[in-house]
Amino acid sequence: MFGIRSGFAAIAVACVSAMAFAQGSAGDPLGVGRQMLAEDNPGELWVERGKTLFHQKRGPRSASLEKCDFGIGPGKLEGAYAQLPRYFPDTDKVQDVESRLVTCMVNLQGFTYQQAIKDHFGTLDRMSDIEALVAFIASKSNGMKMNVPLSHQKEYDTYKAGEYVFYRRNGPTDFGCITCHGDNGKRIRLQDLPNMTDQKQIQAVASTWPAYLGTKSTVLTMQNRLYECTWQMRLPDLAYLSDLSVAITSYLNHQGNGAVIQVPGVKR
Amino acid sequence: MHKKTGLAWSAVIVPVLIAAGCASLPDEATTRQIAEGMIKVGFSATPEHAKRLVQDKSQQICSKIGDARLTPGEADEVLKLARASIKYPQSGKLAGDWKVGAKLAYNGSGTRIRGGKLEKAKENGALCSNCHVLDPKEFNVGNIGPSLAGYGAQRGNSDATVKYTYEKLYNAWAYFPCSNMPRLGHNGHLTPEQITHVVAYLTDPASPVNRK
Repeated sequence: MFGIRSGFAAIAVACVSAMAFAQGSAGDPLGVGRQMLAEDNPGELWVERGKTLFHQKRGPRSASLEKCDFGIGPGKLEGAYAQLPRYFPDTDKVQDVESRLVTCMVNLQGFTYQQAIKDHFGTLDRMSDIEALVAFIASKSNGMKMNVPLSHQKEYDTYKAGEYVFYRRNGPTDFGCITCHGDNGKRIRLQDLPNMTDQKQIQAVASTWPAYLGTKSTVLTMQNRLYECTWQMRLPDLAYLSDLSVAITSYLNHQGNGAVIQVPGVKR
Repeated sequence: MHKKTGLAWSAVIVPVLIAAGCASLPDEATTRQIAEGMIKVGFSATPEHAKRLVQDKSQQICSKIGDARLTPGEADEVLKLARASIKYPQSGKLAGDWKVGAKLAYNGSGTRIRGGKLEKAKENGALCSNCHVLDPKEFNVGNIGPSLAGYGAQRGNSDATVKYTYEKLYNAWAYFPCSNMPRLGHNGHLTPEQITHVVAYLTDPASPVNRK
């Protein structure tokens, strides 16, 4: 019997060692301090609005998003964001929180894809519905640890593609992500740059997006943030919800595993 | 009693194992194929702008993943390609007007694309202050590259120094293969004439970069 069990364990270790299970917030002595900081967070306005939008009956089918499956079952939000991006059998794709949300807006609420993604990035004058919803959904994993799975083949493929892109130098400036995010203590002018090859620093990044940006007075999702990066790199417009954007997020978020989520982050 | 638990677990885990199919990290060639496929459709770009996503030989060599390092052969190839790429201004004069160079050095704009449109700018900036200290009195500067304060004060402004500086700005990889610095002239971000002005800003004894 023990032979069977240990053989079994060996297979499990060999095959699904990277499979992740959500963990609670126990053992986070800084949680109280984070809670206090979060109380003055303007991003909470997006969370509140996202909560309203989430439960509202919207779209041609007059349906809420309450049955949306973010990877741990329909309607289950607590801890779902902590495990994104991940593979979804119904779309046969690895999706981040934002692309999954749009899938639900189309499938549950009956929006066309174009209707769903209209005005996806907010401005000073107009809060984006999607960014509010993402802030709300992500906030339901607050206090939990990032736990992005690598088990389905497409998750492995997506993660490695993200890594490849991180180091890929291109465009008229010869930049890759690595150019600005590969060393400690670097700045572009006065803007601090996290070193995303350092585990602690990448954990701090992965666990604090979406974030409220003081300089923009709005909440940005990771989709929006990556778009701004490729703009500054002199690349063309990063396609919204593209597999490419999800791959970069997979690479970043998976490396963030273990970090306690506290969103919306507050940034410069 | 363990047997029963074990069997119960196997009912849960075996299907998971089958579904996972012993998934694993793809090899290098497969990863490249998948990622390049994503890049092809990952941007909304005009055919003209999409050209920016195509890597030249040197960019390919310089995209080492993780802790991988350049081989001596690869470094040599990047150096040779870079040296062969350098073009000089028609005037033959490699140091221009440091005052024009000063404006260029602190200009971080040019050639960005938003909503399919190229940003409107009279000329491309030289992007220097994004990453380098230049005039020691200017504080809004980055530190990805080394400080260039006192550049000319330390090196002088001999023909050899001026030529080296011009070439370094035109194609940094002619001296430091795969360094972080953009190949400003080679990539067409700056014209040869613009580069001569930045050369002057760095080397001219009257430039604020070199003030004591």
